[in-house]
Amino acid sequence: MRRSTLYRMIVVLMLCAVPLLIAAAKVGDDAPEFTATASNGKTVRLADYRGKYVVLEWHNNGCPYVGKHYNSGNMQRLQKHWTSQGVVWLTILSSAPGKQGYVTASEENDYLTKEQAVPTAALLDPTGEIGHLYDAKTSPQMVVINPQGVVIYSGAIDDKPTTDLQDVQGATNYVSLALEQAMAGKPVQTPATRPYGCSVKYRD
Amino acid sequence: MGGSCVKNKMERRHKSRCSSRALTSVAAVLFFAAGARAASAPIPHGTLELIAENQSIAPGHEFHLGLHFQLEKGWHIYWVNPGDSGEPPRVKWQLPAGLTAGEMEWPTPRRLGTATIVDFGYEDDVMLMVPMHAEAGLAASGPVQLGAEVRVLVCREMCIPGKAQISLTLPVKSQTPVPDARTAALFAAARNALPHPSPAKWRLSVADGGDSFLLSVSLGQHVAQATFFPLVESQVKDAAPQQFAVLPGGFRLTLRKSDQLLKPIERLKGVLVLAGVRGYAIDVPVTASKADAGEYGSSDGDRPAFVAAVPQSGTAVGDSRATDGALKCAATKAKPTAKDF
Repeated sequence: MRRSTLYRMIVVLMLCAVPLLIAAAKVGDDAPEFTATASNGKTVRLADYRGKYVVLEWHNNGCPYVGKHYNSGNMQRLQKHWTSQGVVWLTILSSAPGKQGYVTASEENDYLTKEQAVPTAALLDPTGEIGHLYDAKTSPQMVVINPQGVVIYSGAIDDKPTTDLQDVQGATNYVSLALEQAMAGKPVQTPATRPYGCSVKYRD
Repeated sequence: MGGSCVKNKMERRHKSRCSSRALTSVAAVLFFAAGARAASAPIPHGTLELIAENQSIAPGHEFHLGLHFQLEKGWHIYWVNPGDSGEPPRVKWQLPAGLTAGEMEWPTPRRLGTATIVDFGYEDDVMLMVPMHAEAGLAASGPVQLGAEVRVLVCREMCIPGKAQISLTLPVKSQTPVPDARTAALFAAARNALPHPSPAKWRLSVADGGDSFLLSVSLGQHVAQATFFPLVESQVKDAAPQQFAVLPGGFRLTLRKSDQLLKPIERLKGVLVLAGVRGYAIDVPVTASKADAGEYGSSDGDRPAFVAAVPQSGTAVGDSRATDGALKCAATKAKPTAKDF
């Protein structure tokens, strides 16, 4: 009896400790599963998109690096182009309440309308759970997941780590490059880069 | 106006609703002043001035200018390797013919940020020095104007990009330049804040330990604490705790590799700060891991030479062959292995 209690305690301790010990996903790893509420009220499960390419876009509407890609229309163009190719595009908002970039569902819906942004869904992640699963450091950090559920790209949106709108043109877009190469059956040539931008405004 | 909107919002520490357009329109003001110390230009939550060490420029001589940043409490700017987020200041010089600017000299940075996102930079008051060269053929005539357009990202919990136009005017004289007493203290402090050359008696080695670099330093004395700042981004995992172990007459730091590092590196360069005080520039060859190599490994490495920090352009890692290989290997791994824990 005492022994089984001890075992039970050990099992419980292990189960509690495991999530803290799992390293965040990096390129080549299985993309960690998550369930989230989208700004449109729907529940989104990553697992539901197995068999499709999925793009994750970390977002913060007050970050000037994010502003560069929305004010230039670059992010909207990418969303439109890739979702029309069957890619699932998930914008993720990991800012904690009270911090820059935190929005309610209706504020996010207003933002999407105003910016004419067309992600598949915008996911509310105020606890930062999804952000930490993917070790998201910045907005706009980008992750690409292949149809088998493996992370094939994580890092910057492009090779111009600035806030200058004019740097969008002529930049090499790593997300498009990864998708194009993977869809052509080629290895992704640049699978990991430093994700430039503003730090993600986590709760800590 | 956009600037005041931003500033008021920031001071109340509220979420900024100002558009990014307004944020980027932060004032770019042109100041002219004679002498080694020009008026300062505003940057977000601080000021920036261009100052000179000497009262005049002498043809054929090197001299130093300084970009002197003064920031409001809690705000920071970035080192040449900004860490997990942010961006270092960038300078576009506007110089008369015969004058050229060298590479920025970066003071030893500090670790900033949170438990999960760590940046490298400077708070409060910092001066970035730039060596300038005056050609021998530069005519000793009237005063010349030296200008710089500086783009700088200033952050606290949030980041504001700023742009400032700064300049100063100096006479060109053939006699040996005289230091300017008004700026002497600032240049002395800036030199003291630069990473020092590491002493010749030090023995350093870096072993590739798989998911970490093991940096061992034998310096013939007890050291209670050390921090390493990698000069090149995407080599070391910035937010990972640097495991410190005392060795006889020195120490070892275990530095987790960056997830973005997909191919081996030949050398580890950066700044080593001992006991939170003095920074030393180090540049050490990376050797294969040797489990039986003893406390300091068998390689002493090169004698650490002072390395002037050189801005690293581009963020991509590796060439295509190396990264392809790494991706294929990694992709065959279905689950994280014990090594990842």
